[in-house]
Amino acid sequence: MDTPADDEGAPAPAAHGEERRRGPELEGEPRLRRAEDELRARFAEELQEGEETQDRVAISREAIVELDRVSLAFDRPILENVSLIARRGETIVIAGESGTGKSTILKLILRLLRPDSGRVIVDGEVLNDVTYEEALVIRQKMGMVFQGAALFDSMSVFENVAFPLREHTELTDDEIETRVREKLEFVDLDPDRVMEQLPAELSGGMKKRVGIARGMAVNPAIMLYDEPTSGLDPLTTGTITRLIMKLQRELKVTSVVVSHDIRSAFRMATKIALLADRHIVFFGSPEDMTASQDRYVQDFLGGV
Amino acid sequence: MAGFLASINEGAKRRVLAVQEYFGLAAKAIRFIVARPFYIGDVVQQMDAIGVESLGIVLLTGFFTGMVLALQTSVQMAQFGATMYIGRLVTASMVRELGPVLAAILVAGRVGSGIAAQIGSMRVTEQIDALNTLGVDPIKKLVTPRLIAALVMMPVLTILSDTVGIGGGNVIATAYVGIPVGLYWRTVWEQIASGGFILHYIPSDFVQGLVKPFVFGGIIAITGCFFGINTKGGTEGVGNATTRTVVVASVLILVVDYFLTQVLLFLFG
Repeated sequence: MDTPADDEGAPAPAAHGEERRRGPELEGEPRLRRAEDELRARFAEELQEGEETQDRVAISREAIVELDRVSLAFDRPILENVSLIARRGETIVIAGESGTGKSTILKLILRLLRPDSGRVIVDGEVLNDVTYEEALVIRQKMGMVFQGAALFDSMSVFENVAFPLREHTELTDDEIETRVREKLEFVDLDPDRVMEQLPAELSGGMKKRVGIARGMAVNPAIMLYDEPTSGLDPLTTGTITRLIMKLQRELKVTSVVVSHDIRSAFRMATKIALLADRHIVFFGSPEDMTASQDRYVQDFLGGV
Repeated sequence: MAGFLASINEGAKRRVLAVQEYFGLAAKAIRFIVARPFYIGDVVQQMDAIGVESLGIVLLTGFFTGMVLALQTSVQMAQFGATMYIGRLVTASMVRELGPVLAAILVAGRVGSGIAAQIGSMRVTEQIDALNTLGVDPIKKLVTPRLIAALVMMPVLTILSDTVGIGGGNVIATAYVGIPVGLYWRTVWEQIASGGFILHYIPSDFVQGLVKPFVFGGIIAITGCFFGINTKGGTEGVGNATTRTVVVASVLILVVDYFLTQVLLFLFG
């Protein structure tokens, strides 16, 4: 995802409140350069893995998700003039502190929320103007993985993954079973072992994987993830991160990931958007992020 | 003072909005009854949960209500030497009022709270958002099947409750007062026939007795779903939703019962 004025991934223009976060340029420069070197060393492994993945992925120039100067407020302003573009095949990570409106961006893309101003465009369709019923159809182009997996607890794993197939395709029962097995195998689960289990019988990591299998069941062009690694142990976090990268690599899916797990973000992201104070204060590649002179970005990475 | 008035104004606005949302939900759920896809499996499952699983408690309370009605009536009627009319009184009370209202209040407590808890839990665990993101309207998938099941099963439960209640009255009338079984059931029929017939064959008492549970079924399902869908604040919110459902559904049943009785008496006498 890029800001329109930032197609090549350079940091976003100075946003509201950015000046406050910047230190005195001249005095601070040696300190920032040291911090940049430290960050590069600290995230070297993740950066290298990310680069290797990006090398294998052909990213189209065609935008598939676009937020154009979007503002939204509830009882207080949440987002102000947020602009982003995601191209086909990209994996965008939206990072930021808790409560900064990261998940709100996903809800806007899904048209679960409507912006107060600005436009949200998915696959060429402006979501502001569509009716609720039209939005239901557009959502079939997207797969969503929730923070808590949000599996239907009264249904088995098989029924959960088969649910979107039964709703939106004309597949026969045999074809649905084949597709469900295929998706479960893709997320490294043994279909024979888990298909008849209820979500309550699964571990946190397995639930997330079933959630991914359900999200990708109808082969959507876009996958959205809300904190896919939160609450997981480091090994399972690694597994889920690799899975998201595998989806991008093998199925050319565009992914938008909301996360504050910056290590995973560095591994999987084509671009990282850092959200603070209702604005995107940084938008660019992981490499650009470590090189950023913005004190807030440095503090955010240093605080990880 | 201005702050106090503003808070009253805000509270009133919220309530009006909630009423609007309630009727909006009901209208949408009714509209979806005739729209594809039909979730037949979900409807059958809900009919089992709402109807079959409530059968025991509805029959038990219906039976004892009929017995207590007969017992109280016998004491009053004995003063006038009219104990032979126990069957008529029990029948009129059970078919027109107590059968529908008692069954509805019991189902509101048992099923309405269950609906609110289930949908409320789905709300707080993001399962309703998941339905939305999977391109499925939660009202169609969750509310309409429960509404259909309640509309069908409440009249069935009420018929059974009425029958068992009148049977309970028979037990007391025969065992306690000494009225022969044949006489009791003859007075029951006299009462049913006294209100006249609609389309020559359908006793008007039955129509009155079945319109009410149909409406009450709708109230129970929509109230449970409304509070379930609007659940906020985790498990505590789920608890609040279930409590509100039982209170609001029970009050609505009693209030609507009055107005419905007025209308039905006007129409059928």
